[in-house]
Amino acid sequence: MSNELNDRLRAALRPVDPGESFTQGVLARIASEPSRETVSPHRAVRMRGLRWLSGALLAVVATGFLVAHQWRAQHAQQGQEARRQVLEALRLTSEKLDLAYRVVKDKERSGA
Amino acid sequence: MNGTETDTSEDLLTRALAGEAAAFGMLVRTHQRSVYSLALRMLSDRHEAEDLAQEVFLGLHRNLSSVESPAHLAFWLRKVTLNRAIDRLRREPRQTVSLEDAGSLVCDATEQRDPLLQRRLRALLAQLPPAARAVMLLRYQEDLNPNEIARTLNMSINTVKSHLKRSLATLRERIGDDADPGRSKTGLGCLDEAG
Repeated sequence: MSNELNDRLRAALRPVDPGESFTQGVLARIASEPSRETVSPHRAVRMRGLRWLSGALLAVVATGFLVAHQWRAQHAQQGQEARRQVLEALRLTSEKLDLAYRVVKDKERSGA
Repeated sequence: MNGTETDTSEDLLTRALAGEAAAFGMLVRTHQRSVYSLALRMLSDRHEAEDLAQEVFLGLHRNLSSVESPAHLAFWLRKVTLNRAIDRLRREPRQTVSLEDAGSLVCDATEQRDPLLQRRLRALLAQLPPAARAVMLLRYQEDLNPNEIARTLNMSINTVKSHLKRSLATLRERIGDDADPGRSKTGLGCLDEAG
């Protein structure tokens, strides 16, 4: 029943042609309008080519930005890692020095 | 559309863009059925529909350089026609069109099977809200799928599906109300008889 309704709707909504007078009416209205800048077929093809080219350029620039952003993020991450390693080394050195200081102090105290 | 047709349309488009009036005339002839019928079934008035359809083609002539391909051209024409029709309906709301008036407006000489039911369906469709009507026209007149309808009307796919479902339910219900109960057991009247 649903399919039948679909078919009936398609049949009821078949497009109707307004006729040749409509086409002539459109063309007459266009002719009475101030002239539009026309584009030669060669230029039309070139314009389409340019549209593609500008799209491609946009894609290249966007990709460039993405790569630069990733490179910067990676660099920042490497910097963070190096900083963490330096701090870790400083912490270890400080612990060792602390230990050595305590040993020397203990020896001094036992010698005294 | 096969390769040759695409080439021809592409060629027509390029020639029209170059200012060849005959090529633009061919483009108008190719698409006027679709544009005029959409306008007519949205506005339910022959003169207004013709005026709107002409405006759409004038707009196309002015914006031809922005059209990228024959497929884009068809998409552009449907979108602009329906948007302008909906704008007009918003600006100048119509009184409810009677079933007889709206149905006979789009009477097609090629109607062979059950012309009364077809008129009644068109009349019921004319009583749907504009957005729902636009969805139904794109589905059943232009044979677009819900994704294409969503893109044309800038709606979500769920909204399109919901419009289709509700409109079909409304049509079924109203056909049932209009039908002579004595002639139909399911309430679909002419649908049952014809089936």
